Amino acid sequence: MSYWNPALLSLKVTAVATVFIVVVGLALAFLLARGRFWGKSALEAIIMLPLVLPPTVVGYYLLRVLGSGGPLVQWAGVNVVFTWRAAVASSFVVALPLMVLSARAAIANVDPMLESAARTLGSSEVAVVFRVTLPLARRGILAGAVLGAARALGEFGATLMVAGNIPGRTQTLPLVIYDAVQQRDYGLTNRLVALMTVLALVSLWAVRRLGTMR
Amino acid sequence: MNGEPRLHVDIEKCLDPFRLRVHLDVSSEILVLFGPSGAGKTMTLQSIAGLVSPDAGEIVLDGRVLFRRQRPGVAANMPARRRRVGYVFQDYALFPHLTALENVAFPLWRKSGGRERARALLHRMHLEHLADRRPEKMSGGQQQRVAIARALAAEPDILLFDEPFSALDPALRERLQRGLLEVQREFDLVVLCVTHNLEDAFAIGDRLAVVHEGQVTQIGAVDEVFRRPANLRAAESVGMRNLIHAKVMGASADGVVLDWDGLTLEAPPQHAVPGQMAPGYIRPEDIKLLYADRGIGEALRRNQVDGMVVRREESGDFTTLFVALPNGHQIEVCFPSYTYSRMQLGVGSAARLSLRREGLVLLHGPLSLDIPPAGSIQ
Repeated sequence: MSYWNPALLSLKVTAVATVFIVVVGLALAFLLARGRFWGKSALEAIIMLPLVLPPTVVGYYLLRVLGSGGPLVQWAGVNVVFTWRAAVASSFVVALPLMVLSARAAIANVDPMLESAARTLGSSEVAVVFRVTLPLARRGILAGAVLGAARALGEFGATLMVAGNIPGRTQTLPLVIYDAVQQRDYGLTNRLVALMTVLALVSLWAVRRLGTMR
Repeated sequence: MNGEPRLHVDIEKCLDPFRLRVHLDVSSEILVLFGPSGAGKTMTLQSIAGLVSPDAGEIVLDGRVLFRRQRPGVAANMPARRRRVGYVFQDYALFPHLTALENVAFPLWRKSGGRERARALLHRMHLEHLADRRPEKMSGGQQQRVAIARALAAEPDILLFDEPFSALDPALRERLQRGLLEVQREFDLVVLCVTHNLEDAFAIGDRLAVVHEGQVTQIGAVDEVFRRPANLRAAESVGMRNLIHAKVMGASADGVVLDWDGLTLEAPPQHAVPGQMAPGYIRPEDIKLLYADRGIGEALRRNQVDGMVVRREESGDFTTLFVALPNGHQIEVCFPSYTYSRMQLGVGSAARLSLRREGLVLLHGPLSLDIPPAGSIQ
């Protein structure tokens, strides 16, 4: 069996999911780090839920949201279930908490006095975010993005439920490994397992570097 | 006040232990807000800068309304970025991810020639050699000058300083005080400077406002606030004890000799002009009780005086005695209570004191710009 096709598919799913993770994750991280509003802890809990829920439960929720009868089909008329887009959705939901946790800590760590200083120097609120807060929090944000991407790449359980395991269409690398083990193709299994392990180690090393770098 | 008032502040804000009620009119001058920490000085600066909103009142700078709120509703609250108020924060708040030059150029990023202007300001503050250095690699004094250059780059009408000299050693302190004076005169700025240090107030202030529990209790020329009895009490109420107004009899490299209404005192060598009256103080901790039955160390042999205890206060581990001196003044002595219990000093007892020579501090200033600085700027 060729594993180039699943590898490219995994890359595509991870890349698209990471874009969403970074954009949505940053917005949520700002909201949680700087915002004060009613229901903040509830929002926080909902974002963090996929960290602790069984993948099947997350997958089932996603099916209810994305599948027939769900709001996406009802209002937008798009059914993404059993397509690569569903794999993006599950990767996104499962990896988002890692991005939010890391970015929120980094943003909360930025001294509000520096933001005040920028305001007295003529900066608008948008300029304060892009010229002071984000640059100062960049390491934590990058670390969150790397962790999120690694988690998205390895997503298996929820993906299996909403995107299925269709070779050539929705079969990502972790699903190939599952099939290969079922078929006792240990040569393929070993190569893919080694690849995934190396990628995970590299991302953990990168996160560590980001944490200690000055 | 000399010249037309440029800044008008009349604000109220409810703080936790008291109510802030500040009324100030400031012209092109350095006004020192003097008082203990927690008196509302920093809150006043932040209100002017637009970092916090007062509950009511108005702030007007050169005819521009920065803030105005009369009882019902808000009429005006200009955002901080449009106020043209420069703020030098207590720990300078330099951007750690930018070099000195980038910090100074921060407000100029969209202006043509911004980088050249930033370079010129660094040059003005004698910092061009640090242009590419990050704040973490600079001393406190260097950081402060970068912070001033950065504030000036935004072309403010007013500069606010929050405890600018608190973290600096004395030699550097005087250089930076002189620098601040020069900047104020050169750029014709309204300068408000918060401090709890009376020496700083004397060195740079054109006028002094004593702030106590959210209220301005006294305002006027610095030495005037110091000299007048009513104002003296105001200074004492904010923690200055044992103020002395003495005549300088002689000053040399060995020390200064003072005549405090008939009591001759020796002080360590410091700036003093013979024949002039000099304000000064000695901390209660620097006055020692002398035991009749014990030898006296060299340090306490001078400045001895006999007095009578008129009042006694105890707070925690310390006892404060108020001692009437033969020259008609009263002086406060503070020492650990366990010492006191052995001395058996009550009201009416005679007490022999030594005013530690090294603890006698003269307040001089305002600094004159004509006298060359004590050290060159590095």
